[in-house]
Amino acid sequence: MNEHIVRSYDEELNTLSAECARMGGLTESQVADAITAVVKRNQDLAAAVVGRDDKLDLAEREIEKKAIRLIALRQPMADDLRRTVAAMKVANNLERVGDLAKNIAKRTLVIIESDPLTPLTRSIERMGKLVLTRLTSVLDAYSRSDLERALAVWSQDDEVDEHYNSLFRELVTYMMGDPRTITACAHMLFVAKNLERIGDHATNIAEIVHYQVTGAEMIDARPKTDGLTG
Amino acid sequence: MFVTEIRRLSLTPPPPPTEERGALGWLLHLLGGPKPALTEQVGVADRLQPPFAALAEALPNPILVVSATDPEELANRRYVYANRAARDLLRLSQDGGLLVQAIRDPEVLEAADQALFGAIEAECLYEIPGAQPRTLRVQARPLPPTADGAYQALVVLYDETELRQAERTRADFLANASHELRTPLASLLGFIETLRGHARQDETARERFLGIMQAQAERMSRLIDDLMSLSRIELNEHVAPAAAVDLALAVRDAADAAAPLAQARSVVLAPDLPPAGSALVVGDRDQLVQVAQNLIDNAIKYSATGGQVQVSVRVGLTAAQAAAGERTVAARLSLLSPDRTEPAYAVLSVADTGAGMAREHLPRLTERFYRVEGQKSGERLGTGLGLAIVKHIVNRHRGGLMVESAEGQGTTFTAYFPLKT
Repeated sequence: MNEHIVRSYDEELNTLSAECARMGGLTESQVADAITAVVKRNQDLAAAVVGRDDKLDLAEREIEKKAIRLIALRQPMADDLRRTVAAMKVANNLERVGDLAKNIAKRTLVIIESDPLTPLTRSIERMGKLVLTRLTSVLDAYSRSDLERALAVWSQDDEVDEHYNSLFRELVTYMMGDPRTITACAHMLFVAKNLERIGDHATNIAEIVHYQVTGAEMIDARPKTDGLTG
Repeated sequence: MFVTEIRRLSLTPPPPPTEERGALGWLLHLLGGPKPALTEQVGVADRLQPPFAALAEALPNPILVVSATDPEELANRRYVYANRAARDLLRLSQDGGLLVQAIRDPEVLEAADQALFGAIEAECLYEIPGAQPRTLRVQARPLPPTADGAYQALVVLYDETELRQAERTRADFLANASHELRTPLASLLGFIETLRGHARQDETARERFLGIMQAQAERMSRLIDDLMSLSRIELNEHVAPAAAVDLALAVRDAADAAAPLAQARSVVLAPDLPPAGSALVVGDRDQLVQVAQNLIDNAIKYSATGGQVQVSVRVGLTAAQAAAGERTVAARLSLLSPDRTEPAYAVLSVADTGAGMAREHLPRLTERFYRVEGQKSGERLGTGLGLAIVKHIVNRHRGGLMVESAEGQGTTFTAYFPLKT
């Protein structure tokens, strides 16, 4: 019996998708924990997020290695090729999301040293929830090859941008009102920016899902609002 | 039919339960029987005997049966059975699949691994983000291996959303109430002090002060009412309503109730509603009336004298059509979009011809106590909770909420609800 030595091609493809899904789960919990840490001012949680980032880097390298191996040995075509390439690209985006979550956690450690900024924290929490929901939605869409869901995430990117712009204003108002808050607010600003970029990566993953399912690039421009006015 | 069912039951007597565990113990026992090869994608339910297949299927708790052959290989951990509750919660198909595609959470996967390969009972918390976030307690229990040596485990999920939400709501309620009630309370105390002091003999001042005090007390009472109803709605937010309600009739009631206010402010209220019975949505009637009422009240309050408030209900639009909005030149933002889109929605729009708002205010409109600077809702001050209530109700109905606003031209709110199918 040599079934454990020569595994089927299908199984290899499945493994690739499964590892991507697992990496997605890890990334989601990193983002969720980073948001909780900054909102609840939880130092231990923030430190844990920073410590766990290596796992994601490792997962990305692992997926990339497997994908390259699969391309080299099996020479996948059409659907299978797209699935392989998509897995690599998704892993790449997730690794970036993980870095952003780690950065949020690192900034949390600094923010904790200043006094709490309660109303701002609430706004960060709202934005964080929105971004996390998008990430979850798009990962669900990826693991179920659900084109409709991916498109829904893709077309709603402006919601996150609006939240970011509104938070930006709020932060500036705060800093002008009380210069002692500038250090914490500046870090909060980067936290918000990181969340906004996590939202962008979710949009990227939606595009990858579209490519994997249909084989076509997304051509239409996303409904983009002018983010830099005012 | 009942008799044949009983006869069938007596022909295939169920094996005795292995331990005193009630229904779940039986299920455990049954699931431990011989199973087909892993590649064969058949739900365990098909292999259960008649009453038990239905039993597993009807259990209110989501349950999954997972199996695996090799601890090193992620892709062979599969769920071979998911009951209806689990399929609904995790959006799974009936024929099994990769476990990691059903649940990605690292802690849950770890718990499942412990039960599968370590044969130990494991437990963890599992949070699902989304428009209606859920918190579940996950318990993984080892099952006896199959004849061909595959490891098996049972994963049971308990919904603890309500419990967590209750804790959170209580904290929020206290924080909000203590903060927001302080201002009117301080003003009441101030007036009482003045009335007892130098205004004691002043007839006109007394009348005026009592008037103000009454207004402040009424405001406090409205605030408490709104906070309470917000708490109630939040507690139930993850439980979708089930009744069929005519949205047009609910909106008609709200418009009728708002007529005196519109008249007092010389605002024309123009409802454009479809015939009764055509806008049936899955909903809670009182809550839908409240949505319409809050939106219409706001529109009237922010209208200039002689302005017009247009209220319309449209039927049969898709979520994308509903969220596309009505105004051509306006800042537009979705305040809430449903997680899962349904094929058809009933759409309530309320448009005013008031001052409108700048784009930067839009994302914060549904925040509690958020006020757009420079805007006054008239002498009858609102509580600052109206739109927050609207958002939570719409979310409970698995609907969406949109705002469009153009400065100087007015604002349109659009709420859409899934149609009853």
